[in-house]
Amino acid sequence: MKQLAKPSIGGFISKYTGYVTFVVMVIVLGILTRGGSLRLLSWQNLAIAESVRAFGALGVGMIIITRGIDLSLGQVIGLSACVSASLAQTPDYVSALYPGLDLPAIVPVIAGIGVGVLFGLFNGFLVAYGKLPPFIATLGSMTIAAGLQLIYTHASTVGSLQNEYKKIAQGFLGPVPNMVIYVAIAVLFLWVLLNHTKQGKRIYAIGGNPTAARVSGIAVKFETMKVYLMAGTLYGFAGVLLSSRLGLANALTGDMMELDAIAAATVGGVSHSGGVGKIGGIIIGVLTLGLINFGMTYLGVDSYYQLLVKGAIIISAVYLDMRRAA
Amino acid sequence: MSLDNTNILEMHNISKAFPGVQALKDVSFQLKPGTVHALMGENGAGKSTLMKCLFGIYKKDDGEINLNGEIANFKSSRDALESGVSMIHQELNVVPDQSVMENIWLGREHTLRIGPFHLVNHKRMASETGKLMEQLEMEIEPRGRMGSISISHQQACEIAKAVSYNASVVVMDEPTSSLSEKEVNHLFKIIRRLRSQNVAVIYISHKMSEIFQIADEISVMRDGEMVATAPAKELDEDKLINLMVGRDMSQRFPTVEAIPGKVEMQVKNLTSADENSFKDVSFDLRRGEILGIGGLVGAQRTELVESIFGLRPVVEGSVTIEGNDIGIQTVKDAIASGMGLITEDRRGAGIFPLLNITENTSMPSLDRLTNKAGLIDHKTLLKQSREMNEKFKTKTPTMETPIKSLSGGNQQKVIVARWMMTLPEILIMDEPTRGIDVGAKYEIYCIMADLAKAGKSIIMVSSEMPELIGMSHRIMVLCAGRKTGILKGEERTQENIMRLAAMFGHDDFKEEDAS
Repeated sequence: MKQLAKPSIGGFISKYTGYVTFVVMVIVLGILTRGGSLRLLSWQNLAIAESVRAFGALGVGMIIITRGIDLSLGQVIGLSACVSASLAQTPDYVSALYPGLDLPAIVPVIAGIGVGVLFGLFNGFLVAYGKLPPFIATLGSMTIAAGLQLIYTHASTVGSLQNEYKKIAQGFLGPVPNMVIYVAIAVLFLWVLLNHTKQGKRIYAIGGNPTAARVSGIAVKFETMKVYLMAGTLYGFAGVLLSSRLGLANALTGDMMELDAIAAATVGGVSHSGGVGKIGGIIIGVLTLGLINFGMTYLGVDSYYQLLVKGAIIISAVYLDMRRAA
Repeated sequence: MSLDNTNILEMHNISKAFPGVQALKDVSFQLKPGTVHALMGENGAGKSTLMKCLFGIYKKDDGEINLNGEIANFKSSRDALESGVSMIHQELNVVPDQSVMENIWLGREHTLRIGPFHLVNHKRMASETGKLMEQLEMEIEPRGRMGSISISHQQACEIAKAVSYNASVVVMDEPTSSLSEKEVNHLFKIIRRLRSQNVAVIYISHKMSEIFQIADEISVMRDGEMVATAPAKELDEDKLINLMVGRDMSQRFPTVEAIPGKVEMQVKNLTSADENSFKDVSFDLRRGEILGIGGLVGAQRTELVESIFGLRPVVEGSVTIEGNDIGIQTVKDAIASGMGLITEDRRGAGIFPLLNITENTSMPSLDRLTNKAGLIDHKTLLKQSREMNEKFKTKTPTMETPIKSLSGGNQQKVIVARWMMTLPEILIMDEPTRGIDVGAKYEIYCIMADLAKAGKSIIMVSSEMPELIGMSHRIMVLCAGRKTGILKGEERTQENIMRLAAMFGHDDFKEEDAS
């Protein structure tokens, strides 16, 4: 019964396509920029820029593993950013949403996460118990979040945030940006969750075959709800980090981020047929798309053309994935 | 019947092998126009494989097919259809939300040309459909929604569709499996009508009584070989059973040595929440006993066992295990009270296709294998999954292989391993050997016999009468959702099972199928 599969270079590459592609891209870019892109500062910038997207991609990645999708994440991140920013404005700022308000930084953080939690519960309820197709349910909640964002900010920018609040995302621990530490914590947590707990195994089971999951005693609705809730929590935190990093938030904050996050999860090998996807893959997907943006900007490629390249990469990643699965 | 004796269809020396199984060995088959030719054999005898080779769904390894004297190598059912060879599947292929006529003319709608546009000509489609219905003496409204007519009418529409292609050969696979007696008679009327129009019908069925009513000729297959072809009048039921089984029953099943002990589970007056399903079913199950559940399609056997397992709601009755009313509400409860369920539909409700053997085996046992910190004890999990699969002799390259790349029989062993890992006292097996080859079947039977010997109780739902008789201590028979009897000892015969299984006409719940 035990008969080890022969390790081969081809097998290794096909198993770790994402990682291999990423390493190749780093090397090529390093050569093209004569080492410029390999400097610490470049990596710090890349990491900071991609951190918020990483939270989104981790959340939606788990949802895609359960055969779902989440279109609301960009707007939820945006709404969370606006709400948290509004509670972190300097008290003497005349155009503040709540002039004179002076709260410890923990309050806007909790409020921002709270926004994500509420939307996660809402989406999860609609999908798991309301049986709405995830695409439609989250299309609705995306629209609601976008509306709330406009109403809450009166369509103007929430700026002049307190330094203490801005430090949350802008600070460094040695050479490592705080943002990277938050992502690392989330990655570690989710990696343990998906690989070493029954909840994690159940997420794969639900995505792999929901009927068989039910027969195996898994409370499919409840577990699905939990996945949306977890994703919402991640979005909430991402919104806080975004407003803290930018030092402001407005109705456009987070716009279209859902598409980047879904693209990153997809490039990272999360299958839309469900049941397949790894945390490491999602992060590689985020970094790959980030590196493309960053590299092309560094090389002076017109940003309009960058979109074409990005689109082509998404399509080819999925194409290769489908071929491999078939 | 036609006097023309040249064959319309001839299959010569067809062979087909799948990895590990020789599904067809040198099979030849001749079909005369204007006859109904029954193709019989047990499940796994090769009837469907032969038909799939005819329709090009499988590529035959060897042999030749002639239609009207010319070599025919169909690439798909569509290809066959266009040459006048049509198949009515057991599971009907209808689009329920479209009208009857749209279903019949699907993909070749009558059109009306207006300038550069081809528009669908609904009027012509309706009138053509009406003509077809007239020709077959059927009363079905062409514009009615397909999903709102009964299964038997849907089937009739499929036949009408075949006729619309000027079919000269129509294959029907178990056409009566979900029909009531009245509907069967209507179907036979249609079949006779086809025969009078010189159409040749290949009729695949298990049901003896029907065969002798409708067939002109009978061919019998067994283990991938054609064992006999003869005019129906030269055969009788006994001869036919002998041809189909062909060997001593005792060789097909291991001896079940277990002697049932004290009562393990009692089911009392269990009634489904679905009024068209089972009512007032009571039985008990002993330790070390294999209780077979038999009945026709629609007898609600699967519904009964799935309700006991908490997958479907019940409104009345109780389930007690070792004297305690366990009041099963959810599957989790059922697992916790020591039950396991191997579902009928292995692919749809059993396996997690992309997950590996370890993950597939351990899924329901995760609660037990999670430590206080909430983490899975991977070492124990791997060890137990491996041991279970070794015990049941699962053939797999590694424990990391995705289950979808194993054969049906090996997948089934993984599912058995999955439930045995939950340490159950009661194992419910719904059609445990469906879709697996003869050798693997025997292994599954041996596993069942061993489990019973070890004191486990087994409920086995099966549509194969030899399996019920060969493996069960007692056989409970359901008909139309009601228990019609329990057979034990010498009473366990095919005749008795059939008598109890067909005790009531099951017109009562045809409504359910139609809705």
